[in-house]
Amino acid sequence: MEKTARREQNIHRKILIVDDEAVNRKLLGLIVSQGYEAIYAENGAQALQLIQENQKLISLVLLDLLMPEMNGYELLEIMRADPALKRIPVIVLTSEKTAEVRSLQMGAADFIPKPYDLPEVVLARIHHSIQLAEDNIIIHETETDELTGLYTKGFFYQYARQFDRYCSDKDMDALVLNINRFHLINELNGREYGNYVLCTIADTIREILNQTNGLACRCEADNFFIYIPHQAEYQSIFEKIESKFSEMLKEAPISIRIGIYENVDKMLDIEQRFDRANLACTKPKHSYSNAYSYYDTQMHEREIFSERLISEMDSALREKQFCVVYQPKYEIKGEKPTLKSAEALVRWFHPELGMVSPGKFIPLFEENGLVQKLDRYVWREAAEQVRKWKEQYGISIPVSVNVSRIDIYDPELENELLDIVHSNHLETSELLLEITESAYTDNSEQIVQKVEQLRADGFRIEMDDFGSGYSSLNMLTALPIDALKLDMRFIRNICTSEKALKMVELMIEIAEFLNVPVISEGVETKEQYQLLKEIGCDIIQGYYFSKPVKPEEFSLLIEKEIAQREEQEYAYN
Amino acid sequence: MLTIESLKAYGADVEDGLKRCMNFESFYLELVQTAIKDTKIESLETAIDSGNLNQAFEIAHAMKGMYTNLSLTPLSEPIIEITELLRNQTQTDYSALLSEIKAQYQKLTEIDQ
Repeated sequence: MEKTARREQNIHRKILIVDDEAVNRKLLGLIVSQGYEAIYAENGAQALQLIQENQKLISLVLLDLLMPEMNGYELLEIMRADPALKRIPVIVLTSEKTAEVRSLQMGAADFIPKPYDLPEVVLARIHHSIQLAEDNIIIHETETDELTGLYTKGFFYQYARQFDRYCSDKDMDALVLNINRFHLINELNGREYGNYVLCTIADTIREILNQTNGLACRCEADNFFIYIPHQAEYQSIFEKIESKFSEMLKEAPISIRIGIYENVDKMLDIEQRFDRANLACTKPKHSYSNAYSYYDTQMHEREIFSERLISEMDSALREKQFCVVYQPKYEIKGEKPTLKSAEALVRWFHPELGMVSPGKFIPLFEENGLVQKLDRYVWREAAEQVRKWKEQYGISIPVSVNVSRIDIYDPELENELLDIVHSNHLETSELLLEITESAYTDNSEQIVQKVEQLRADGFRIEMDDFGSGYSSLNMLTALPIDALKLDMRFIRNICTSEKALKMVELMIEIAEFLNVPVISEGVETKEQYQLLKEIGCDIIQGYYFSKPVKPEEFSLLIEKEIAQREEQEYAYN
Repeated sequence: MLTIESLKAYGADVEDGLKRCMNFESFYLELVQTAIKDTKIESLETAIDSGNLNQAFEIAHAMKGMYTNLSLTPLSEPIIEITELLRNQTQTDYSALLSEIKAQYQKLTEIDQ
């Protein structure tokens, strides 16, 4: 209703009346002027000229068929053949049955008989034809993606639902096609070539649609959704797309991935079906080769499991199902290793699922940002623990906590950390912050700025997983850090692999150059410990000393440390 | 003089014609005036006389549209009849129908004087 009102109020549409009889022109002009502006032509040729001059302004043509110069049929034919004029609806003025049929077949929107109907009827027919034509234009312009001509996402979903309604017994497959590292095409070959690649992929998809009777859309830059009747195999379809793709991008590290959710469950929303296909598509994320994979039961179970973890996180936080454990870090520079600090790690003891591995829930929470809540929980727990030990033993055991990528972008980060530290009467140096190396490479400038600020507040920053990211040596010198934590994958092989050992030596040299201590994680054996001590590692964390333990158990380590310190003092005195 | 009354007396279905003109009497009369000034009858006669039935059909067809829209019944009736004959290119003697049309047209012009 609103739409119609807007139509009526705002726009005064032009209608072209084409008739060689003055009486008819005037009569129609009177009727039309009740809602529109009338312009006139006496024959087809004159009309064509007017239409071409005002093509964007003419909303409808009222067309007599028998006229001198150029008759109505000829004009209709010219208009239907011209894409720009095709959009203008034509109502034919005739009372001959055969002419009605012929002109409707030629694309006329409607006809008005002679003698004319009542003015109200004529106006209603005009109104109806204009509305229909304008709706069509709007739909056509918004339903397809300008670049590729495939549907846009919203219309695609709509048509897919319509397809299901009419073919409810047909088994359907949902496909997601994604180009890995598509941005590289734009960067390496220019945007124009990127568009060319997208259009070629779209053309190939169209060929497949013609054979399979399906539909497709482009949603987001390099993501295509395809909904087609179930196919027994996808090898040939995949090869078709792949060969087109490889032709265009011979050596670039860009690949195509297709995720297939076959025989979709029609009880699911169409959006959910494509979520599943998308899951199958993103599965082997880091592969450089073209591939397709199916959504399978395993994925399904993982998805259900993930959903459960996500939906239960809040209640788990409330019920303290998350438990913070502490793994000691020992300084090994002196004669005897001394307890220097600890790392806070989180464990989830789920009442039904038992111990859920952090490897399962951390990446999941990182993906959807929930990790922020978890991080804050750990920060508070850890700070409280440092305070308790301080009160109990009179010594400070700083604890390092993880600061996730997403935390760094939180404008409240600094205030929150300061608040946690102050409310526990701690120094900022007692809560160590671990930031993973790869976070630095994302947006180094912003991170450097943030980290500088935190350091100015007195926090100390440890770069976690050093060696796993892609820091350039140049960048490293500019980074504000207070310690390097070596990625534990390097430590694992130092006793057996010369190469691994060399790598660690190199990283220790870098740390020396930066004048910061090196922390080795995942140290499990005496051999590893001794080797690391020899090559100049400063601090060690790992099962060799202790696994991550609950605060009560950690207290014992503190007591041991105190006893050792007293012994040493006694020896010196 | 051309008035609603005189047209009624002539036999036109004035009410029907007026509806199409949204009941603007002066507008209706003006259109009838235009129809009277039209000289297609002569062309129709010439075309029939010269045996060009195709052209004659087109002229008759146009006249039919005009007269029926104005509901000038005494004129439109013989015009409809002749249009159908001409559409089928019927070889027949058109003089009687033509005279009828001319007579009715004459009557109409007389009202106008």
